[in-house]
Amino acid sequence: MSARRPMVLVLIAVGLAALAAYPTVGTGYGVRAMLQLFMWIALAGSWNLVSGLTGYVSFGHVAFFGIGSYATAILITRAAWPWLPASLAGGVAAAVLALVIGYPCLRLKGPYFAIAMLGLNEVLRVLVSYFEGLTGGGLGLSLPTLQATLPIYYVMGATAAAVTLLTYLILTSRFGLRLMTIREDEIAAEALGIDTFRHKLSALLLSAVGPGIVGGLAARDQGYIEPISVFPLATTITMIVMVLFGGKGTVWGPVLGAAVLFVFQEAVWARFIYLHQLLFGAIIIAVVLLMPRGVLGLLQLKYRLPRTI
Amino acid sequence: MNVVLTPVMIGQVIISGILAGALYAMVALGLALIFGVMRVINIAHGPLLMLGAYGTYFLWQATGVNPYLTLPVTMAALFVLGVLLQRALVFRVVDAPELSSLLLTFGVSIALVNLAQLAFTSDLRAVEFLTASFRLGPFAFSKSRLVAFAVAAAITAGAFVFLQSTRLGKAIRATSQSREVAMVCGIDVQRIHLLTFGLASALAAAGGTLIAVIVAIQPEMGQIWTFKSFLVIVLGGAGNYPGALVGGLLLGLVEQLASLFLTTQLSEAVAYVLLVVVLLIRPSGLLGGRQT
Repeated sequence: MSARRPMVLVLIAVGLAALAAYPTVGTGYGVRAMLQLFMWIALAGSWNLVSGLTGYVSFGHVAFFGIGSYATAILITRAAWPWLPASLAGGVAAAVLALVIGYPCLRLKGPYFAIAMLGLNEVLRVLVSYFEGLTGGGLGLSLPTLQATLPIYYVMGATAAAVTLLTYLILTSRFGLRLMTIREDEIAAEALGIDTFRHKLSALLLSAVGPGIVGGLAARDQGYIEPISVFPLATTITMIVMVLFGGKGTVWGPVLGAAVLFVFQEAVWARFIYLHQLLFGAIIIAVVLLMPRGVLGLLQLKYRLPRTI
Repeated sequence: MNVVLTPVMIGQVIISGILAGALYAMVALGLALIFGVMRVINIAHGPLLMLGAYGTYFLWQATGVNPYLTLPVTMAALFVLGVLLQRALVFRVVDAPELSSLLLTFGVSIALVNLAQLAFTSDLRAVEFLTASFRLGPFAFSKSRLVAFAVAAAITAGAFVFLQSTRLGKAIRATSQSREVAMVCGIDVQRIHLLTFGLASALAAAGGTLIAVIVAIQPEMGQIWTFKSFLVIVLGGAGNYPGALVGGLLLGLVEQLASLFLTTQLSEAVAYVLLVVVLLIRPSGLLGGRQT
């Protein structure tokens, strides 16, 4: 690893530079597609942070995306904030939400935690529709028009990179080892003196910030949000399937999974509007049954790859 | 919000709540069986119910037969579909972490909904049968809900008798208590799993048939039933089959009561709020843990 390290760093630097230079050569469609891909990398990577590392399945992770979207949209429309601080505030809102729901919910285990998170997301969606004065209710919120695709491209890309870097830092830290101990055996982790609750809460908190920011950026980029468009269960499932495909609990798994599934979605899936859900269902089933470890997980099994790939 | 509760209103709430509760209990018993025996939360439970409802609609449409008479047909058909699902897909994730089974059954769920949209379109359909209601003293009774209550209560009772006193029923309960011990006792656990998924799907189908006569049918009608059923088994205590009955009645009552005070929009969230609150306060259910 140490011998190859400079090479890996150079590769990463070249890749990032290419992505940064891309808008100068890419088409409008290409830039928008990359922006979407960055969004999925950040979302999948964030889900991986809590669920891939601790094994607690967050089945309502899109709630953080949704709350970020709404916080940003409200700050922009009602308080005339510029979009960048507003979307950062979206990340803060998501972290606060994570704290509020993590406190009670992380005491639940297994499928109960998963379903409770899912239920909370639905509650949030209904609440957002209900407080019409602030959120526009079911009609949604329209943001003032603004041509900012390019700056959003960079901020979205930076968020995706930050989430991936954070995953690497956590995976190589004692904190990350403790999280993975919780995943393997929570009782043993407690017996080893790990404050499991605090660790789980920290992981949930860290995993909420990315989706919050990304939600805000997506809201600004699309210019319009409504409850059903920012709280769909399908978004959570897409994050999960991306991580599973790439390899959960790895650094590059979410990136790989997001890239492959996103390209597949753009190239194949979008052409079959009527079969969209059916194909998505088939992909989910295929990923769960055929590659529960994901691509990187399989490679790790076969070859002697570093744990922190 | 200023609702004055009269005794009649309270009576009506209790009646409507009990009528709805029996239906909840029956459908949830299916989910509880699968969860109890295999530790799998079948997200596709609601969509299976939706298929049952469509079965009734089309049989009624084609033959003009009394829709309640389609019950054995939809139950048998869904029993077979359930067995096939278990045989083809679900058995592979029974021992996997919960993420696998949640995702797998979610995949099945959206595939079923999409197939229904393709085959039946998203148009609202209604089985126009027994639409009247009658009054008994100050209380109103919808005929279709009353029949649904009676049939659901009978089927649920039948299911309990089956679980309690037949050899197969005992084998199912034994498997849900401890798969290893059941195996040692000579129970073919794989076969019990097939049977359980079939039975659970048949219960969902029965729910679909009864609901088809009450509300409009459309491909996405099912999902909410998965969550309501899960709520019911959490209320009753997972792995505690009679608990489904109590949970179902409780959910029915709470929903009816909530509809008095809240807008339709907010009462939609009641089931979810209740689910989260109960999970947080008493994760083992109101009636306590596993005691099949």
